[in-house]
Amino acid sequence: MLNFKINLNEIDKIGKFSKEEKDFRLKNLNYFNNVGFPNKKQEDWKFSDLREIVSKNFSKLNIKSSEQEKSKINFIKDFEHNYIVVINGRLTVSDFRFEENDKIKLKSFTNNDFADRKENNPLINLNHALSDKGFFLEIEENYKFKKILVIYNLFTNDLNEIILNSKNKIKIGKNSELHTLNLIINQSEKNFFNNVYENVVLEKAAILKNICVQNNKSSGYFHKYSKHELSNASNLTTFIFPSGLKFNKLDLEFNLNGENCECNLQSASFLNKIDHQEIKTRVNHNSPNCKSYQKVKNVLDSESKGIYQGKIFVKDVAQKTDAYQLSKAILLSERSEFDSKPELEIYADDVKCSHGSSSGSLDKDSIYYLMTRGLSENESVELLVNGFLSEVIESIKSDSMKNFLKKKLADQLNGYKKN
Amino acid sequence: MKNQDLQNNQEYKYGFTTDIENIKAPKGLSEETIHFISKIKKEPKWMLDWRLKAFNRLKKLKEPNWQKPKFPKINYQDLYYYSAPKSMKDKPKSLDEIDPKLIETYKKLGIPLNEQKKLSGVAVDAVFDSVSVATTFKDELTKKGIIFCPISEAIQKHPELVKKYLGSVIPITDHYFATLNSAVFTDGSFVYIPPNIKCPMELSTYFRINASETGQFERTLIIADKGSYVSYLEGCTAPMRDENQLHAANVELVALDDAEIKYSTVQNWYPGDKNGVGGIYNFVTKRGACRGKNSKISWTQVETGSAITWKYPSCILQGDNSVGEFYSIAITNNHQKADTGTKMIHLGKNTKSKIISKGISAGKADNTYRGLVDIGRKALNSRNYTQCDSLLMGNKCGAHTIPYIRNKNSSSTIEHEATTSKINEDQLFYCNQRGLNQEEAVSLIVNGFCKDVLQQLPMEFAVEAQKLVGISLEGSVG
Repeated sequence: MLNFKINLNEIDKIGKFSKEEKDFRLKNLNYFNNVGFPNKKQEDWKFSDLREIVSKNFSKLNIKSSEQEKSKINFIKDFEHNYIVVINGRLTVSDFRFEENDKIKLKSFTNNDFADRKENNPLINLNHALSDKGFFLEIEENYKFKKILVIYNLFTNDLNEIILNSKNKIKIGKNSELHTLNLIINQSEKNFFNNVYENVVLEKAAILKNICVQNNKSSGYFHKYSKHELSNASNLTTFIFPSGLKFNKLDLEFNLNGENCECNLQSASFLNKIDHQEIKTRVNHNSPNCKSYQKVKNVLDSESKGIYQGKIFVKDVAQKTDAYQLSKAILLSERSEFDSKPELEIYADDVKCSHGSSSGSLDKDSIYYLMTRGLSENESVELLVNGFLSEVIESIKSDSMKNFLKKKLADQLNGYKKN
Repeated sequence: MKNQDLQNNQEYKYGFTTDIENIKAPKGLSEETIHFISKIKKEPKWMLDWRLKAFNRLKKLKEPNWQKPKFPKINYQDLYYYSAPKSMKDKPKSLDEIDPKLIETYKKLGIPLNEQKKLSGVAVDAVFDSVSVATTFKDELTKKGIIFCPISEAIQKHPELVKKYLGSVIPITDHYFATLNSAVFTDGSFVYIPPNIKCPMELSTYFRINASETGQFERTLIIADKGSYVSYLEGCTAPMRDENQLHAANVELVALDDAEIKYSTVQNWYPGDKNGVGGIYNFVTKRGACRGKNSKISWTQVETGSAITWKYPSCILQGDNSVGEFYSIAITNNHQKADTGTKMIHLGKNTKSKIISKGISAGKADNTYRGLVDIGRKALNSRNYTQCDSLLMGNKCGAHTIPYIRNKNSSSTIEHEATTSKINEDQLFYCNQRGLNQEEAVSLIVNGFCKDVLQQLPMEFAVEAQKLVGISLEGSVG
């Protein structure tokens, strides 16, 4: 097996750091080198053996990333929007033409937190050690965005056997509201690894609606750890629409720290070929009267593998918690696989917590019904799959956004027909 | 139940000890101990070799540590691995020869050892500390060709069956506690049902740990040959002691073509006192293999005792059209901890499994359901349904659900549902209004909550289990 130990000198190549920062980076790199890429012996990686996946597909991993900073972007024309452009993890251009610019702070991310925390995930250590890019977006108090903010995440075509490490932070002030669309555009057809650490902070009564869409299928290997902190009465909604990557793991942590806050996560994905996708969530109910809702839908074709690991944790003080979790999967091929581990860990008694998980094939009668109406078998399957996944899109309020997403979904399913 | 009765029952009623002289193996776990056990059991050489093989394997293994309840390290050298009533050394030929004190103990436990209790129609094999003391109804069973005897006897009399099936479901290379059991198991029950025989009565085993500083390691092996049926019950109690005692049993079930095994457990080991001192560590490995076509294995368990319960009665569904079922009630109160559930491994086509689990935690207890449903690539048209509900009483206890669900083919369907809640105030109020006091109301509601599982138990056990449910939760509300 390949040795993916990373030379300690690499840190000096990234940049010049204070002693404190360098120590922090060294400590984390040492930790990563000791443990290596996680494998299925680690509980959180039971269903995704990253070590095997990486050693099968990469012969080396370069740290030095491409310097390409300009690239052609097809901006979305369907609706008016503000935008940020991030190329290979690095913040390049931004445009807030519809907003009051003094309410918004945007800069490249610099890490000031060198506290030594025990991280269970070696990829977080790797990120701590090597991250050298990313953005920090802060919205002042009492400001509501007028138009949606689109974050274009572009990966250029010269990425090859490279690992990108970036850190992003989004902070939304008291009573403010932001809607974002995270669009991932991948131009590289070679293997590369993208490792993101994200921190989202919602202050009192802040609202964040976030939609994450992958523009096209690609051969990238993505890992994103995202930590969300919610204060009193704040509200977070996240929609995730991946379109399939060689490897994609989203490790999402939601901390409901204030009372009366609400968190909502929904995802719909259509996977085929050898896509490997895992959504792992951990919702920590740390305060009373909070609500959380999770719905994850997967359709799996060819040799794809879908995984959902969701955990609801309810602290003893978090009475009147209402937590719900649902994962549904349709398997279209004999070689596809769906694994799930919906977990509940509850220490408060006056709560309503439930989860459901189901997986199976499409209903034969439904296909038959559609075929008697003149559709071909492929068309029937496509229609049913579309209906199954559209349910998630339907719960988005904005019509223009809904149409945009439906178009994306239709594009994906179109690919199914050709196969 | 009347209030008066409740009060009398409040304490653990099986907490007495019986003064009987014991023969013990030398303290500690060593090759010597294994030789001692094997010698005293007059075992053939192949059995001793088998044990030693397990012991060698054990040296390389480590205790698992992924479980939810943590416990202080067990000193395996500080335990007795064999303890038997002295008068048992030369096995009694009939019940008359059994130490009257033992008979009295079983009377206290309410076990129908006497043949007079024929009417109750249960054949019993009683295991005291490490030795099987008496098996009833032998004649009637022998007529049908059914073998129901202590496993030590089966090793001598039916070596071909034991050799063929022992360790075939739980291999000696399994996890730490299973391997430990393979090395030092002392006794247990052996059942063989010949082809096309329906066992005319329920078979039952009562386990009791009496001596202190003793671990109990029994091994049960049940084989249901083609087209046969057997229902097997297991009950357990132990005296109150302020030390933790280890109970690491292995149970293996084998169902061949068209056979059905129903295995019910009412586990009421001593749970420790209110402050969590003492109690049994119940680390049991139970596994059944549906080897044949159309075979069925059904596990039902009511877990109310033990300081820590850590077990997963599982089904390996190898034969086409085989069925696995798991019904469980786990009640934890005070400082008790339970980490229990099942594994359903689907390998054959058209296999079905059903899991109903009810967890109730009160006081400062922790109750975890952990389960695996794995539908293999070749297990076409398989089906699983899982429901696990948890009930919480008070805000110092915990209820957790950790299911692992793997579906590897598109023609199979898996459904999983779980809920966690507390007792509905309206239901309590309604019961109070009708004249039930708080505790009676809780007992009634909890029994209703557990009904799906209690229904699966054989008649006599169901009554006992219902009472147990009420008693286990006493003092947890109000």
